Amino acid sequence: MNLFGMFQISGSALRAERERAELAASNLANAETTRTVEGGPYRRQDIVFASRPSLPSGFAITLASFTDLHAQGVQVAGVVQDNAPPARRFDPGHPDADATGYVDFPNINPVEESVNLMEAARSYQFNVSAVQATKAMIQSAIGIAQS
Amino acid sequence: MSLIDTPELTLLSRFLDLATVRQSVLVGNIANVDTPGYRTQDLSNFGGQFEIALAQDSDLPVFPMVRPVSGLLSRPDGNNVSADREGLLLAELQLKYQAATQALKSEFALVQYAIKEGS
Repeated sequence: MNLFGMFQISGSALRAERERAELAASNLANAETTRTVEGGPYRRQDIVFASRPSLPSGFAITLASFTDLHAQGVQVAGVVQDNAPPARRFDPGHPDADATGYVDFPNINPVEESVNLMEAARSYQFNVSAVQATKAMIQSAIGIAQS
Repeated sequence: MSLIDTPELTLLSRFLDLATVRQSVLVGNIANVDTPGYRTQDLSNFGGQFEIALAQDSDLPVFPMVRPVSGLLSRPDGNNVSADREGLLLAELQLKYQAATQALKSEFALVQYAIKEGS
C-alpha cells in the first residue's frame, strides 16, 4: 500500500456516504408520494455497506493479502427496500383514496431520515479529514527532496 | 556503511515505511466507520515490528502484521470502529511522520554540507 493508494480507500468511503445521504434525501423528499412506477406508494430505501479489500498489485502484496488482513475500502453492497406496511390515512378527497376513503402513504419517519442524513454527513467529514491527513503526509514526503 | 547510507537514514526510512502502512490501516478503519460487522485493525506491536524492520535487509519491503484490535466496544451492528481512537491516532501519526521527514531532511543537509567541504 503506497501513500497514493489511501486516496482510493477514503474515496470509496466518500462515495458510499454520499450515496447514503442521497437515499436519505430521496426518502425525505418522497414522504408524501403516493404514486410510483411500480405502483402504490413510495417505499423507504436503505443502503447496505460492505468492506472491500484493496486491490493487490505485485506478487509481494498479493502474498501479504493472503497471509494478513489488509486495509479495506468500503463499497455499497446494495440498496434494500423497506417493506413496512404503508401508513393509511383517512382522506376521501384524495385521488388515490380507496373505496373506504383511506390513502396509502409511504411509511417514512422524518426524524429517522434526518438522523441518517446527519450521520452520513459526519462520516463524510471524518473521511475528508483522513484525506487531508494523507495529503499532508505526501507533501512532507515530497518536502524531503526539496532542501 | 557509507556517508550516504548511515544507520540514521535506514532507521528513518524504515520508520516512514511502517508509518505509511499504519496510515493505510487507519484510513481503512475510518472508511469503514459505518460498515456493519467491520472490526478495527491495527499493526500489532508497532515497536516490535520496527525492530524487525530495522534488522532485515534494507532493500526488502516491510510487511508488518495487521491484526484486529481487541478491547474496543462493539456497536449493535458488530462494528467496533471508534472515531476518537482513529482521529487521535491519525493526528499523532501525521506529526510523527512530519518529524521523521524533517529529521531525514537535516540528515541529508549534513551530507550536503560534507560534499560542499563545509562551505
